[in-house]
Amino acid sequence: MADKFEPNIVGFLCNWCSYAAADLAGSNKLEVPATLTTIRVMCSSRVDPVMLLSAYLRGADGVLVAGCHPGDCHYQTGNYLARRRFALMHKILETFGLDSNRFRLSWISASEGKRFSEVTNEFAEHITKLGPNPLRKMPFIE
Amino acid sequence: MTGATIQAKNGVNGAVSAVLKSLKDSGCVDAVLVPTRVKSGETFVYLLIRNPKMLDSCAPLPPVMPVQGARALQSLTRHGKVEQTVLCVMRPCEVRASIELAKRRQVDLENVLFMSLDCPGALRTRDYVNDPEALDKRYQGILNNWEGDGLRPTCETCVHFSCEDVPVDLHVGLVGTKEEEAVIIGVSKRGEELLDKAGIECSEDVSAWQVEVEKARDKKAGNRSKVVSELKDKAAGMDNLGLLFADCINCHNCMRVCPICYCRQCFFDSSDQVRLRAEDYFAKAQARGGIRFPGDMMQFHLGRIYHMGLSCVGCGACEDGCPMDVPVSQVFAFAGDEVQKTFDYVPGRSTDEPIPTLTYEEDELHEYEDA
Ligand code: SF4
Ligand code: SF4
Ligand code: FES
Repeated sequence: MADKFEPNIVGFLCNWCSYAAADLAGSNKLEVPATLTTIRVMCSSRVDPVMLLSAYLRGADGVLVAGCHPGDCHYQTGNYLARRRFALMHKILETFGLDSNRFRLSWISASEGKRFSEVTNEFAEHITKLGPNPLRKMPFIE
Repeated sequence: MTGATIQAKNGVNGAVSAVLKSLKDSGCVDAVLVPTRVKSGETFVYLLIRNPKMLDSCAPLPPVMPVQGARALQSLTRHGKVEQTVLCVMRPCEVRASIELAKRRQVDLENVLFMSLDCPGALRTRDYVNDPEALDKRYQGILNNWEGDGLRPTCETCVHFSCEDVPVDLHVGLVGTKEEEAVIIGVSKRGEELLDKAGIECSEDVSAWQVEVEKARDKKAGNRSKVVSELKDKAAGMDNLGLLFADCINCHNCMRVCPICYCRQCFFDSSDQVRLRAEDYFAKAQARGGIRFPGDMMQFHLGRIYHMGLSCVGCGACEDGCPMDVPVSQVFAFAGDEVQKTFDYVPGRSTDEPIPTLTYEEDELHEYEDA
């Protein structure tokens, strides 16, 4: 099974919730995709969507941003702003007919270990269906 | 709306400079920031003028826009508000860029007044420096007929060439006015007061001019939708986008001349953020067969569209400054339109409209999240 496609997913996880949820998923022995690379950020609003773009242009098959549920941001408004920024980047990708469906924004609280496992597995399945990021084979793009 | 006819026997520049002089003489304006031809004659810069005599040689509507006016105003107010009243004479896109910069606290608008003019567009700076005389003549023709060859492509599609949705104090109407005539209008309350103090009585009806502006706008809007629908195909998908930017040499000039890009250290110039280590490049080259240098080209352009596309006023400075004829501002205008529509935002319209990424509604954009 050497050739089975396992999507490379980069996940930007908020320290106060989704990152803790990932931890919880781990301690409860819930399954999480093995090829998920997590990056801890202090708030979903710390993520400049250009970072998402970088991950994608450099070959990530899927990019996830996860933060506290609306209303629960540790810094009050961070996730509302993160949602606007994510939407803006999404719109730009759509405008140029790029793979906007390789990007996802989810809200996962610290107590939702199970949800963390579900979201990441479901996203990995979705990306597996899409196949590898075609940019990985494009020498002139980045 | 009412205004006053001004005589333009010596061209628009002469007419406007006479108005500027009376404003200066009336004492309500301490200084004027206005484009002026440089001594060599080949180009124009902004001059902050205190001596009224120097207004004789100013060029309120030069054929080119080598310096974006918002950048000049930004330099002037870098350390905060100016203590004296400055009247800035600018193209509408320069005023709008100034407003965007003010929202980003890069320009202080206190004691700053704006005068704009109906703008038929600008010629390419590179063409102009090669043959200023011929291009001056050509521009005169464009001013008379409101069309002509050699305008920058962005200008052909600009719908903000007059004062609607541009928060100016004074405006000079040129579209469809009789030859050798222009109209001056006090758009804001402050603008009306200025004209009043300068003894310029604004009682004429200007609806004929307004009708002409509408007509010209319809035409430009038509051009715009044509270009946008062409770009929709030309810029669809990474392959095509790669072709549009293929000639880019990563000089980042487009970013340096853009009035909206104000960061002193650009993210895309910060080498440890965007550059990789050699072994990573080798790994990539292995996977892709080969990789392009200079790299990060697409990241730079798409990233910049993300960073400032909402505020792009379509001034075309980026494209004018590009040594490789990459259609930067056309791509920006295309993407800018889309994102501005999404957030119902018109850059440069009003200082009261917050930049969409710096505000939010609690209940919105649910289609972009999974709950
Ligand atoms: S991106 Fe280009 S057209 Fe848009 S504001 Fe900047 S310089 Fe002007
Ligand atoms: S000015 Fe032109 S060549 Fe230079 S970075 Fe911008 S698009 Fe590329
Ligand atoms: S702290 Fe978690 S989203 Fe802001």
